[in-house]
Amino acid sequence: MSESEVAGSDIYLQPRVLFEHGKKYMICARSGHGKTSLLNFIYGSNLNYDGTITYGEPVASPFDLRLRKLSYLFQDLALFPELTALENVQIKNSLTGHKSDDEMEAMLDSVLPAGKKNQPLRTLSLGQRQRVAAVRALCQPFEFLLMDEPFSHLDRETSQAVADMVMREVDAQQASLIVTALDPIDYFHFDTTLNL
Amino acid sequence: MLRRLQRKTLIPAQIAGYAATLLVGVTIVMLSVQLYSDIKPVLTQQTDIFRNHAVTVSKTVSTLNTLNKQGIYFTDDEIASILEQPFVKNVARFNSSSFQSTASISFGQQTIRTDLFFESIPDPYIDVESNEWAWDSTSGFIPIIIPEDYLNLYNFGFAESQALPVVSQGAVEQINFTISLYGKGRQRSFQSHVVGFSGKINTILAPEAFLLWANNEFGSADGGNTSRILIEFADASDERIPAFIEQNNYNIKQDELENSKMVFFFRLAILFVIIVALIIILLSVAFIIMSLNLIVQRNRDLFVNLYSIGYSPRRIARFYQQTVSLITLADIAVAIIVAILLRGFYVDILSTMFHIEGSVIPIVATAVALAAILVVVYNIIILRTIRSTVEPTRNTD
Repeated sequence: MSESEVAGSDIYLQPRVLFEHGKKYMICARSGHGKTSLLNFIYGSNLNYDGTITYGEPVASPFDLRLRKLSYLFQDLALFPELTALENVQIKNSLTGHKSDDEMEAMLDSVLPAGKKNQPLRTLSLGQRQRVAAVRALCQPFEFLLMDEPFSHLDRETSQAVADMVMREVDAQQASLIVTALDPIDYFHFDTTLNL
Repeated sequence: MLRRLQRKTLIPAQIAGYAATLLVGVTIVMLSVQLYSDIKPVLTQQTDIFRNHAVTVSKTVSTLNTLNKQGIYFTDDEIASILEQPFVKNVARFNSSSFQSTASISFGQQTIRTDLFFESIPDPYIDVESNEWAWDSTSGFIPIIIPEDYLNLYNFGFAESQALPVVSQGAVEQINFTISLYGKGRQRSFQSHVVGFSGKINTILAPEAFLLWANNEFGSADGGNTSRILIEFADASDERIPAFIEQNNYNIKQDELENSKMVFFFRLAILFVIIVALIIILLSVAFIIMSLNLIVQRNRDLFVNLYSIGYSPRRIARFYQQTVSLITLADIAVAIIVAILLRGFYVDILSTMFHIEGSVIPIVATAVALAAILVVVYNIIILRTIRSTVEPTRNTD
């Protein structure tokens, strides 16, 4: 990105930006202004930036935080079409054993139409997949939950249901939340809104 | 679940192709190594001399040195310079008797007597096995070995022309005679008989210990001049040997090197086959690596997604490492069986001509070595490929 594109950003080119434990942040920007890039920088899946990101503890690679401290709802979802909705959640949960099978099924049932959780993911609509990805992101211990436009394919009512489920888990884990959106959203009670 | 996801990424036809080519390559390599170790003893074991790669070397007798015999002796300097050659492992002298000796045999009243000489070489170079080959000054017995050619000369030449009966080696060994030694005013008699026939050493051999003792007792202790030596080559097929022999005007029984040349060509042929088979193996390895690369390219999203949700490259690679290792090991196990069966066939054929002994250890050892190398290489390559696919990189521009 050129300097003019990020002029006025609350994050890019700032000397220091701190995301604190237990707080909820909303990051708003238009398309193409680096929302996904920012989350990828934090998550360690994109290294093409200048500057440094520290995590409150020394780490060799942000990858080491993925199963303990960082969870990420990807904009492109990163789901496995060959697996069922439930299996998509299980394949992640099996890394940490954070949730029981009953808990995972209950979470899916709370956001998906009945019977969908055992269908292959490729038969689900985009919005339904987005909900599966949201459930999956909650199935691990984390201190920061990154959500990249989590409601882009959901109606208002469903978005609120997903947001409520997310809030329960975030509160239970006393974690922080960083959500990006094109336009401000009000499903969460954000502590801070940052513009990119 | 991860396993199920990854199993779908495999390309069965390519794995089958890999298994088939690897089977062919590994089987050929193992069989070649086995054949080499089966045949080599047959070619080299004919005499102990050849196991040692030792040949008898003398100087050429010409009209110039028929009277001046100094020309046919090896000097200490010459022996030292021979020893310095890089292809020479050891040099052994022929010791010769420096005393008078006669052999006599009595038939009732009649006694046949003949003058005799002895030579000796160190025991390891003798191509005859005999448990009577020992010297003990108190036993009164001297074992001797004569050239096979002597007997052949009599049987096929003399006996034939004079209508005399032929005699076997066993019969000659039964003949006892008396050997008398003279010198320094002493005389002593010993019983003796032939204990073996040498196909390679063209002299009348007595145990080295005996000759040292007898030279000391009846002749000059230094044993006199050395006209023949045994050269033990590090590798008798070394191409510098014929040149060296030629250059120094030494005399060598040509066929003694022939056998070694045969071993050399046999080794060369086997080496060629092994190289071809190794190329086949390399191709099969290249094939499976290309197949794995194709799998990685096709399923890039799958691997990146797995990495994104927290699966380590090691964990993602594990399935492919295990699968390829397992296929390779099973394949090599099958190749061992095939190679052992095929060896059975050629052993059946060859054992009508030679005595083949030895085990299938070369097959198994080759298999274990190949398996270990391949499995290690695959495990490293697969992990590196997965790692380079999923891990983010920093653009350098």
